[in-house]
Amino acid sequence: MQRFIAVLTVCLVSPLALATTPEPRDLIIQAMNHWRGTTSYSEITMTIHRPDWQRSMSMVCWTRGDKTTLVRITEPKKDAGNGTLTKDNNMWTFSPKINRIIKVPSSMMNQSWMGSDFSNKDISKSTDIVDQYDHTLLETRQQDGHMVYLIQSVPHEDAAIVWGKEILVIRDDYVLLEQQFWDQDGILVKTMKAREIKMMGGRTVASIVRMSKQETAEEWTEMSVQKIQFNINIDDSLFTLSNLRNPRQ
Amino acid sequence: MLTLAWRNLWRNHRRTVIMLAAITVGVWAMIFMTALMRGMVDDMLHNGIRNLPGEVQIHNRAYRDDPSINNSIPAPDKNLLKALQSDTVKAWTQRVRVPAVISSERDSRGVTLLGVEPQSEVKIGFSLDSISEGRFLSDNNDDGLVIGARLAERLETRLGKRVVIMSQDPKNNIAERGFRIIGIYKAKLASLEERYVYTGLETVQTLLKMKNRVSEIAITGEDYRNVSSWYPAIEKAAGKNMQTLPWYQIDTYLSSMLKMMDGFVLVWIIVVFLALSFGLVNTLVMAVFERVHEIGLMQALGMRPSMILYQILLESLLLLIIGLLAGNVLAIGTVIPLQDGIDISAVAEGMEMMGSSSILYPALKLNDMLLANTVVIFLGVLTSILPAWRAARFDPVEALGKE
Repeated sequence: MQRFIAVLTVCLVSPLALATTPEPRDLIIQAMNHWRGTTSYSEITMTIHRPDWQRSMSMVCWTRGDKTTLVRITEPKKDAGNGTLTKDNNMWTFSPKINRIIKVPSSMMNQSWMGSDFSNKDISKSTDIVDQYDHTLLETRQQDGHMVYLIQSVPHEDAAIVWGKEILVIRDDYVLLEQQFWDQDGILVKTMKAREIKMMGGRTVASIVRMSKQETAEEWTEMSVQKIQFNINIDDSLFTLSNLRNPRQ
Repeated sequence: MLTLAWRNLWRNHRRTVIMLAAITVGVWAMIFMTALMRGMVDDMLHNGIRNLPGEVQIHNRAYRDDPSINNSIPAPDKNLLKALQSDTVKAWTQRVRVPAVISSERDSRGVTLLGVEPQSEVKIGFSLDSISEGRFLSDNNDDGLVIGARLAERLETRLGKRVVIMSQDPKNNIAERGFRIIGIYKAKLASLEERYVYTGLETVQTLLKMKNRVSEIAITGEDYRNVSSWYPAIEKAAGKNMQTLPWYQIDTYLSSMLKMMDGFVLVWIIVVFLALSFGLVNTLVMAVFERVHEIGLMQALGMRPSMILYQILLESLLLLIIGLLAGNVLAIGTVIPLQDGIDISAVAEGMEMMGSSSILYPALKLNDMLLANTVVIFLGVLTSILPAWRAARFDPVEALGKE
């Protein structure tokens, strides 16, 4: 969830900080620091599109920092109550149909999350991109009155990342415009792209984000933010297994 | 007597030659087919033991029921080390074996991650010839990964690329890191290529935070059939906290296979011989009937019935011995050129299900040859008793009158 939340919540800190060409690593850290340590509450609709079908589900999520999230499905009725809790790289899911909490085992971390194009790993991990990669600034360009930075991030030798490199496109107001995942042969595999950016909850956020695979352009997953609030008070008890099972909020 | 029997044999060439051909082909079939089957079973057992690996393994008591990382054992202590260095032990190794997930950019698969000591692993289970690209691990700290050719294909990755291995440490936390593929191996069985990935022992121990603990210790001796003579010593040294098992208890399928095969060879020989014996009895009976007149004459000349009995038995014995010699020579002659293996890859998939590889190496065993020969001689003589006994009981007057 965080990577996605990262996209949603990366926003403006201070334009002054960007007066000179920034260090790419600092750029990412600053962007992430901005939402790290804060809390958020959002209502999101996820649309999974395939050539022959499409479905949407609505969910609410709470986040605290980058390690803790709780997501709960509200629509459609069939899936309502399904929840996912992540805490320090561990992940649990709850399904009311079987009334059971399942810790997502390592073997399932690469599987898709709720049938979307996001994997469990995409959802549960996020800020690895700061420490596990080497970052270089490829390009700086003007776009729609903003400075846009193209950063190439190459994972360290022993990092648990399969990609050959990732390319991040970050705007000077810290909106992550695009994240590309390249394989080790230099072929683009999938892209996460912001399709709409607007003011929400007092910040500029990417309100619609689409993840699509390069080889199958007709298959994508879109997250669209209906409502988002930042820096609200969240009780500790929210991010617990018992709350995952028995929602009190 | 012997001369008479010998001459009698060659008085009717055609009959004798047909009989000889029957015996020769029968014996050849017995020996050759047995050699093939032996070869298959040997191969299966060797493969099986190589994959276990080792003829004897030491585990945590709970490991066989739940092969999780929690059921590990400490590295061998002084006592055990001493036992492992005895003469009966040809090689031993220790390894970490945990379920893991390997992922590339495009796919991920469940595999068994093996943290091995490359030097001793090569002696016990891993064949360096099977490396088709790159190299095998160099030391316990090697953080390269060696995967099977089929797995590389499935993951759409190849030598020199990075993959991610994910598993769980003893506290159930996800442990993961990237590995570069330094070697690709080809196993005799493609299913193994997909299952096992190798890396250095200490690399895995560090990744999984398991200090010096290992999942298993594998030991191999000289001959897999003699394991029971030396493994109790190891068992004693390993102590009661650990479970020491020989291969036939670890993989009961393999051991029952061996037992079944031993029984099967005998049954096979008997079945072939039954078919053969009908021909033998038939020919001998016909030979006796054809020679009623002649036997009567011999009796009239004063040959005793018991002599007639011996005479005919001797004839069939000679026949059998010549047939056996020819059969054995033929069998050896066919097995030796095929010693390098018979390629039966056309049916490789079926063979793989049985755990056998697609090249068949016939194995000629002295015991099997002896068994086949003994059975043929014994049963052959037994079946020729009937016509011989009948011939001995002819009434000479009646016999002479028959024309």
